[in-house]
Amino acid sequence: MIELKGLTKKFDSFNVLDNIDLTIPKGTAFGLLGSNGAGKSTILRLISGIYRAEGGTVMVDGENVYDNVDVKKRIFFINDETVQFQSYTLKELKNFYKSFYPKFSEELFEKLRSTINLPLDKKLNAFSKGMKRQAIVIIALACQTDYLLLDEAFDGLDPTMRIIVKRMLVDAMIDRQLTTVISSHNLKEINEVCDSVALLHNGKIIFSKDLDSVKGNIHKIQAVFEPISPELPQTYTMEELTGLGVEILHFEKNQSVYYIIAKGDVDEIKKKLAPKKPVVLDIIPLSLEEIFIYEMEVLGYDYNVLAQN
Amino acid sequence: MFDIDLQSRVPIYEQLYKKTIELIIKGVLKENDQLPSVRSLAKELGVNPNTVAKSYQELERNKIIYSVSGRGSFISKISNSSVKDYILEDFDCSVEEAVRIGITKDELKSRIDEVSL
Repeated sequence: MIELKGLTKKFDSFNVLDNIDLTIPKGTAFGLLGSNGAGKSTILRLISGIYRAEGGTVMVDGENVYDNVDVKKRIFFINDETVQFQSYTLKELKNFYKSFYPKFSEELFEKLRSTINLPLDKKLNAFSKGMKRQAIVIIALACQTDYLLLDEAFDGLDPTMRIIVKRMLVDAMIDRQLTTVISSHNLKEINEVCDSVALLHNGKIIFSKDLDSVKGNIHKIQAVFEPISPELPQTYTMEELTGLGVEILHFEKNQSVYYIIAKGDVDEIKKKLAPKKPVVLDIIPLSLEEIFIYEMEVLGYDYNVLAQN
Repeated sequence: MFDIDLQSRVPIYEQLYKKTIELIIKGVLKENDQLPSVRSLAKELGVNPNTVAKSYQELERNKIIYSVSGRGSFISKISNSSVKDYILEDFDCSVEEAVRIGITKDELKSRIDEVSL
């Protein structure tokens, strides 16, 4: 289990992370979402013990990570910047990591390497960007750590490699309760791979919960209400509907049709809107991408503003 | 068999849940048929095994499938499961809509007689 408590990280006087609490249970695939500069990579670097926090604690399996070799042996971090050791061959790079990770499996490494046909004796500076990525990913999987941190990790991998990685993750999750923490802007990927997500904005956590409850708790509603008379359609304001106890994130009206983004359980929303006599009431779940955009809109990170200026 | 839409707005576990019921209704999955293991289904679809496990748990809770420890999950007898409820709920919705647009009860009743012949 990964536990962050009251975590604060500053660069100069700038709070990149501001008093964050986050718990990631063992065996989950956890997705970190957030705007650019929200602090996603900083969290991963703190969990992997690269950064020292200004305040609060980072505990992995109940121990502090920073400068703790025993804990770090159980964590592998794939940085979003590709491999730094340009003059190493893949073999040398593998041996380098092998010296730190006691559970490293030569067999697994060779199986993966031969599958994607990555040359062992070529220097990494002769590798393409995608191949460097593949190299570090197969080394990471072969290290068989309990925790795998992926910073924008699926970037630069081709579709076949993505499937290989996903299938490897499935095995590792079932066989040894692997915990993965993934930061990504690719919400489709997060949707497939993760079971829990946290949304970050300006160094704070907006929410952290399991993905299905995030998706089940926010809906797009299309509604038409019973008109006062055939000529006179009803006009409700957002406040009137909010007054019924519906938590509305976004409100739009086009003639008699209302487009509403609301939070809450489907049946609850239906019940609350019932007194206004809806003739049409279509409620559909939002995609993760839409959830991201509307949650951000509420926080003032609104794409509409940019369009207007 | 369990082709699901990874781009869909509907949560993956819910899709798997519904897909299983559909396959039972269509007769593709029959009583005592074995479902794929969580591992193989998660790998095939490229999704999180916890998600697959969650939909299996939900199916089992509603007695649509049963599991035998060490052997896997199997389809329950339909009369004991909530597959019936699922179909009837769909039916209710259609009836409500039919009534709303003015189809009479008698029309609906004779329709049932026709279709169920």
